[in-house]
Amino acid sequence: MARILVIEDDDSTAREIAAELSAHGHDVLIAADGAAGLERATREAFDAITLDRMLPGLEGLEVVASLRQRRVDVPVLMISALSDVDERIAGLRAGGDDYLVKPFAPNEMAMRVEVLIRRHRERADVMVLRAGDIELDLARRTATVGGEPVRLLHMEFRLLEFLMRNQGETVSRRIIFEQVWGYYFDPGANLINVHIARLRKKLDRPGAPSAIATVKGEGYRLDAR
Amino acid sequence: MLADRLRFADIRRTSAFRLTAMLGVTFAAGIVLLLGAIYLLTARELTSRSDRILADLAAQVLATPAQALPARIRQENARNEPGLNFFGLISGDGEAIAGRLSTMPARGYDRPVDVEDAGGGIGPIRLLARRTPNGETLLVGRDISQIRDLRLRMLEILVWSGLAIVLGVGLTAIGLSIGPLRRVRDLQAASRAIAAGDLALRMPIAGRHDELDLFADTVNAMVEDVARTIAQVKGVTDAIAHDLRTPLTRVRAGLHRIAQDDALPPGQRERLVAAVGDLDTVLERFAALLRISELEAGQRRAGFAPVDLGAIAARVGELYEPLAEDGGIALVMDCAPLSVHGDEKLLFEAVSNLVDNAIKFGREGGRVSVVTGDEGEGWLLDVRDDGPGIAADEREAVLRRFHRGSNAAAAPGSGLGLSVVSAILGLHGLRLELLDAAPGLTARIRPAG
Repeated sequence: MARILVIEDDDSTAREIAAELSAHGHDVLIAADGAAGLERATREAFDAITLDRMLPGLEGLEVVASLRQRRVDVPVLMISALSDVDERIAGLRAGGDDYLVKPFAPNEMAMRVEVLIRRHRERADVMVLRAGDIELDLARRTATVGGEPVRLLHMEFRLLEFLMRNQGETVSRRIIFEQVWGYYFDPGANLINVHIARLRKKLDRPGAPSAIATVKGEGYRLDAR
Repeated sequence: MLADRLRFADIRRTSAFRLTAMLGVTFAAGIVLLLGAIYLLTARELTSRSDRILADLAAQVLATPAQALPARIRQENARNEPGLNFFGLISGDGEAIAGRLSTMPARGYDRPVDVEDAGGGIGPIRLLARRTPNGETLLVGRDISQIRDLRLRMLEILVWSGLAIVLGVGLTAIGLSIGPLRRVRDLQAASRAIAAGDLALRMPIAGRHDELDLFADTVNAMVEDVARTIAQVKGVTDAIAHDLRTPLTRVRAGLHRIAQDDALPPGQRERLVAAVGDLDTVLERFAALLRISELEAGQRRAGFAPVDLGAIAARVGELYEPLAEDGGIALVMDCAPLSVHGDEKLLFEAVSNLVDNAIKFGREGGRVSVVTGDEGEGWLLDVRDDGPGIAADEREAVLRRFHRGSNAAAAPGSGLGLSVVSAILGLHGLRLELLDAAPGLTARIRPAG
């Protein structure tokens, strides 16, 4: 469970975001404009903020810039009707951690918020990730399954690292593509599927259920088996 | 900004040059006519004066009694030793009797003619023949080398002034053309930049209120209009985004939430998931359409930097290698460094799209190659498959929005992929060509223009 601040001037969008995040078990507070949001975010502690780009009065970019200036490092998901890549770059440069274009699927939004929260909670000194019998040594860039070393290519390592950092949670193909490869277009479901299939082949033992589960219509989830 | 150097061929074609040259030719023709008229009138005047003098001299000499005539003639010749007037007497049957002239003029008696060489080193002269009362012929000649000199001088003047006029007109024409030509080049450069999507740019105005300024002003008004229209179109697409995408997304969210319900009757969840899938397709197309209009509006140059298209293609190759292998296709990468000014992420997307298509529509168990090359006029990047290809008459059409190739029915896709690629390339001053790879299709990226 996490405490999340939703800064959004459009009432129905705000309620929609709040409903989805609450359904995921989070505690949600709403601020209806930039100034109120900034004030709240500075005064209280939140695990994440969703921030509309276009707000009356104090603009979304200014809110996130002010937060960073005041050394508030809570992860911020910028939400905007402006889909242009330049806008995304502007949002991330101002201090946003992720950028979601309106209209969005609520579960996709919730997934992104959770990815941000988990990334933020990670301790910087963690050098080894574990999920069941899978072990990932981040310093030495090595992986083992049940103690047996597994050779992973560069991108396979990053894909597994991302899934392990979000273990137990479903992540969409789109989020995987953005977070692992760093590109913001839709490459088609098939492409991510084959990358997952390759990784499974290296991680799974014949006959045993896969470490990476397919969540139909949503994405993938790595479980600690 | 001068795109390239001014060449004489360009200067020669300007209207300033042509007008000046035409004026120069007219002026030269006038000078020729004027000098010709002066020469003709002067020559005629001098000739008729010579004729009158010849007639007077002949009359004076004829007044001499017949038997004294030879002596008179010799006396006159001696008196005119320096060679202005000449006299001669010939008998009825043409025999020379006295004097230095002995040739009968071609036109007969009483009609003076020009004779170039009258014999004995005399000439050119004006020659008059008169019949004496006793049937002999008196010849009187007068030197006309002055008139000939005049003609020569006139010709000299014509030649030199002609040369001076040609030189003067040429230099003036070039001088008058360079300024306007430079301005036209500047206008050209500005219009190219505007056509490439920089609608904030305006044509330069010199402030002279001449025809070029008027023209630039008109074009600027047009550009302003186009920019306003594009802004309106963008506004309309934004309105579509708000008016249709938002409610559709809400419907999708609603269906998705219902699908999560564990108490659903059997079979209902699958139907809901299918409906959500269909909605996703619609939303994807909306998103792609909006992206295309954004890209075509050409307002994404802020993030442009020098990037290596060859390296980008190599990374696309890494991304798609598992997908190719999955389809039993050999993905062959052979990319040399290609420096391009652009947006790395967009170019990656464009090449990805082409490689994705090549794998999707290539031959099973076939081969897809991504190759950079050099083709005289510039570099190129080919994505080639050995599948069924696209018929020649369909290649134009597949670049249009929503068009899907006739053999694409079985493959997933919105029909917007190549439009997105075209839009991305257009933004970079590049273009997409579809060529027959015999067998298969070559999608070629190369600099436009």
